[in-house]
Amino acid sequence: MQGNQQQQAYDRGITIFSPDGRLYQVEYAREAVKRGSASVGVRTEDGVVLAADRQARSDLIERDSIEKTHKIDDHIAIASAGHVADARKLIDFARRRAQVNRLRYDEPMGVEPLTKAITDTIQDYTQTGGARPFGVSLIVGGMENGEPRLFETDPSGTPYEWSALAVGGGREDIQEYFEDNYEEGLTLEQGVGLALEGLAEPDDDGLDPDGVDLQTVDEDGVLTVGQDVIEEHLDERDLLGGDDE
Amino acid sequence: MNPDMNLDPTGDDAIDPYSPELGSIATENGDKENVTKTGTTTVGLATEEGVVIATDRRASLGGRFVSNKNVVKVDQIHPTAAMTLVGSVGGAQSFIRTLRSEASLYETRRDEPMSINALATLAGNFARGGPFFAIHPILGGVDEEGSHVYTIDPAGGVMEDDYAVTGSGMQLAYGTLEGEYNPELSTEEARELATRAVQAASERDTGSGNGLVIAEITDEGVEIEEFDDLAEAL
Repeated sequence: MQGNQQQQAYDRGITIFSPDGRLYQVEYAREAVKRGSASVGVRTEDGVVLAADRQARSDLIERDSIEKTHKIDDHIAIASAGHVADARKLIDFARRRAQVNRLRYDEPMGVEPLTKAITDTIQDYTQTGGARPFGVSLIVGGMENGEPRLFETDPSGTPYEWSALAVGGGREDIQEYFEDNYEEGLTLEQGVGLALEGLAEPDDDGLDPDGVDLQTVDEDGVLTVGQDVIEEHLDERDLLGGDDE
Repeated sequence: MNPDMNLDPTGDDAIDPYSPELGSIATENGDKENVTKTGTTTVGLATEEGVVIATDRRASLGGRFVSNKNVVKVDQIHPTAAMTLVGSVGGAQSFIRTLRSEASLYETRRDEPMSINALATLAGNFARGGPFFAIHPILGGVDEEGSHVYTIDPAGGVMEDDYAVTGSGMQLAYGTLEGEYNPELSTEEARELATRAVQAASERDTGSGNGLVIAEITDEGVEIEEFDDLAEAL
């Protein structure tokens, strides 16, 4: 009985290590991310592509109200997977931080410093009593000194930089697809194609253009790619799914 | 903690754009009569190769008593930038220390030095938000875009120019520079012109004198030299 009670203590308390050095609440937060639909990021020569699967649980829901990619500033966007409400807090934090950088230094926030500001905040929620970790992983993409940069944040508050990555449900399949098919020197257009192929990978039924949220960031800024363009890309690759079929 | 401004559960990560990240700025509510002032003439000239800054070495009480005869009134605050001390000595010194540590922290975190524009913006924000009322420094620096000379005024005004003078001898020094400065000056020529400007001010301004300090800033770094006699510098 004694043993059981101790186990419950480190299972429940976020700031308590288990005897084998694990933080269960952080690991549970990672599970929450896996339960979310997938988001992907692809870094190309000219910019980055962020794409997300926004599954609607009903035909009556307005798809545009399911936001999975978010503009942060003129040169940075973020895609999320996991708890949407948790993501929104971090998105707003990132937006404010990006503007504080402009106020303070009169220059755009770098993608790497922004990612690290976000992960430092996430980390605070793994070491503060009474707090709960963020059940969300973010893909932070943008331009820094003319270079495309692509980062991931995870619920422990660790930043990673990637060429191409997936977070959320189906991550393993998509990541494997990127590992086999990513190459250096992609154009932004090819990056959009690869992102959509990755997003379609876990499911044989293809993608409904309406269910994809896609943004690109390059020298010209953040662009939300329209349904018609997504549809063309999917059609070209024979990945078009959706309601009609 | 205002939850709208801050996500940190411990409540200490909100960054105020107008104040330093490290520590806070002491207020200047002391005996204003006896504050040591630099008086001063500080000159900054941008050239194609870098920036030349020249200053005198006098600190005074109200310009009527010389309280120190060898103050080095230009200091490095960044790998390729320097700032002059003008106005209240205490205010100017803490301003410089604060900017130096902020610039260092920025560079360590981001693995690249601050641009001179970012440094000037931060300096202007601190001057505006903090209690450094009685300062009027020149910031000179070199970055990827080239050579820059800025003046930071006590209310936080930040202005870039090819050449600038601040301090009590500014009108005399400007008189020397007008018509003589051109952007194609070599470093040697800029040193000579800046020295003559400080020399003119030292002759007639009671707040300026006691020799000369010259800083040369290039993309390689900052070099500061002191001279007891202005003739040595020429």
